[in-house]
Amino acid sequence: MTSNPEKINTELKKDIPDNTAGRSLWYYSWKRLKRNKLAMVGLYVLSFMILVAIFAPLIAPYDPNDQILEFATKPINFKGEVLIKKERGSNGELQYIPIKKIVTDSGNDIKYIDYNNEEKTIPKSELNEKTPFKTLTFLLGTDRFGRDVLSRLIYGSRISLSVGLISESIAIVLGLILGALAGFFRGTTDKVIMWIINVVWAFPSILFVIAISVVLGKGFWQAFVAIGLTAWVDVARIVRGQIFSIRETEYIEATKAIGFKSPRIIMRHILPNCMGPVIITGTVGLATAIIFEASLSFLGLGVQPPTASWGQMIFDGYKYLIAGTNWGLAVFPSLAIMITVFAVNLLGDGVRDALDPKLTK
Amino acid sequence: MWVYIVKNFFYSILIILGVITVTFCLLYIIPGDPARMLLGQRADVKSVEAVREELGLNKPLYVQYYKFLTKAIQGDLGRSYSTNREVTLTIIDRFPATALLATSALILSTIIGVLIGIISAIKKYSLIDNFSMVFALIGISIPQFVFALLMALIFGAILKWFPISGYITEGWNHLILPMVTLALRPLAIIARMTRSSMLDVMNQDYVRTAKAKGLSNAKVIFKHTLRNALNPVITTLSASLAATLGGAFFIEYIFNWPGIGLLAVDSILKLDFPVIQGTVLFSAIIFVVINFIVDIIYAFLDPKVKLT
Repeated sequence: MTSNPEKINTELKKDIPDNTAGRSLWYYSWKRLKRNKLAMVGLYVLSFMILVAIFAPLIAPYDPNDQILEFATKPINFKGEVLIKKERGSNGELQYIPIKKIVTDSGNDIKYIDYNNEEKTIPKSELNEKTPFKTLTFLLGTDRFGRDVLSRLIYGSRISLSVGLISESIAIVLGLILGALAGFFRGTTDKVIMWIINVVWAFPSILFVIAISVVLGKGFWQAFVAIGLTAWVDVARIVRGQIFSIRETEYIEATKAIGFKSPRIIMRHILPNCMGPVIITGTVGLATAIIFEASLSFLGLGVQPPTASWGQMIFDGYKYLIAGTNWGLAVFPSLAIMITVFAVNLLGDGVRDALDPKLTK
Repeated sequence: MWVYIVKNFFYSILIILGVITVTFCLLYIIPGDPARMLLGQRADVKSVEAVREELGLNKPLYVQYYKFLTKAIQGDLGRSYSTNREVTLTIIDRFPATALLATSALILSTIIGVLIGIISAIKKYSLIDNFSMVFALIGISIPQFVFALLMALIFGAILKWFPISGYITEGWNHLILPMVTLALRPLAIIARMTRSSMLDVMNQDYVRTAKAKGLSNAKVIFKHTLRNALNPVITTLSASLAATLGGAFFIEYIFNWPGIGLLAVDSILKLDFPVIQGTVLFSAIIFVVINFIVDIIYAFLDPKVKLT
């Protein structure tokens, strides 16, 4: 039996790399998260969506608001032929003349059949010099104004994600502040804040969101204020509960003994230690916020047309789905919402498992 | 015990007072004049003034608040702008439909959800577990209105199995689609909750003891594990009940189910403010009342609940 402490120490140290000193909870949580395949799928899908939203103008094949009424409610992979005019529209956009086919292309004039089945002639000098004629491809078809569904879907991701992220940020900031105040000062402050939380909690959140956006008026910022004002209670409850348990720990006792002031204790010593549950609540909240935004738009209370939003697209497309004329109009935005929310939820589950080592077996 | 009940009762009253205050504020920070909304944009100044007088809109805010509060406590929520009917009566008329939908959907989701949860927990990491949990996550990820439209499309428009619009007075099969649609989300949550709670309990010492003394698998699962695992499930269930009894907004709207939810959405689309106020207030009060009742039941059933 070797009872040499030196030797035992080196034996033990063999398994531990030397650079463990600065590794935090976040390092290990991230490592655990990376091992979780489903969560990583969620993270990749969500990152992809965010990239699509950021680079929407580069990715989208067309302007989401460009209307070609002749091409209304066309099916998937519709190809429409157009002549491109020389002069541009007021916003510098290309002006199209939708045509059925070109009859003759001789010398200075082009003879074509338009969508009223009339034969017309246009001088070449009025058309774009480089590409007077073009076939436009609409990969996911067009909506009732002849707008490209794919482009609208791509631009719609901006609304969903930005409303989701901004409203959840509002919720987290509000929740952190009020939860921290309640948890740290307890007593009357806590009672008042808990009362506010319970009052907001009592309202069914979707109806409350709708009611607030009716009051504030329809629109983009109204949507995230409405969602943020309802979602903070979840965060505040969690933070309060966390602080109640953390403030009893010895290291907080120590900070008080040293004589630190309350703001410093809250900001530097308590809040960082309750961020785990806050992040978990935040991801769940993000999924809910995206659903709420879509629901608001579905009722016409969110972002106003012509700005593309997924909820609005579903509402517009549903008639065509029921009538059996064009199923894509409602199905594609529905899929977009589901995939995004599913990705957020996968990530949220993974984050929860990663931050809570008790659950990982 | 009585002290606990009385304390809880007064706290609930306090919350309801807060709820009434918030609802009052909702109407009074609306941009625009309620009197003008009531009469339409083309009404002349004189009649607008008369209505302002009648509704008490000329009085200072605190007088209006006091009036709103005393009336709300007496159950008077004003009259609808569009039908001129008393809001309270309309809500009472609509409540049975919502209650029927909510309870039937929750019964369905509890039975199936708990079953899926148990199977998933017993067959942990098996194909059936993975499948059920992905299904449950989809159930949580799909917005209610999207799922409602999907159900209406598949079972209503394409297969024509069930009617997609109307109430049970035209036949009980009208209940099926809204019920199944409403059940999905709580079902998914309950399945996930049951599974994780079962897994927690299965690791407890007393379950190992039960196995060690040679009890059959079924006995261990149903007598020792499930009973203890159901506590968080019941909490979730009561929260769902409290939330859905206030109206299932999108589902009632899409399936044209004449409950509180449809009333709320209709009034929002018509900007019928007294009805919006009434339904919001009603849903919130239902939530507080159900939670109060559940708390009391808990206090009776679970000795671990602290009576403070």
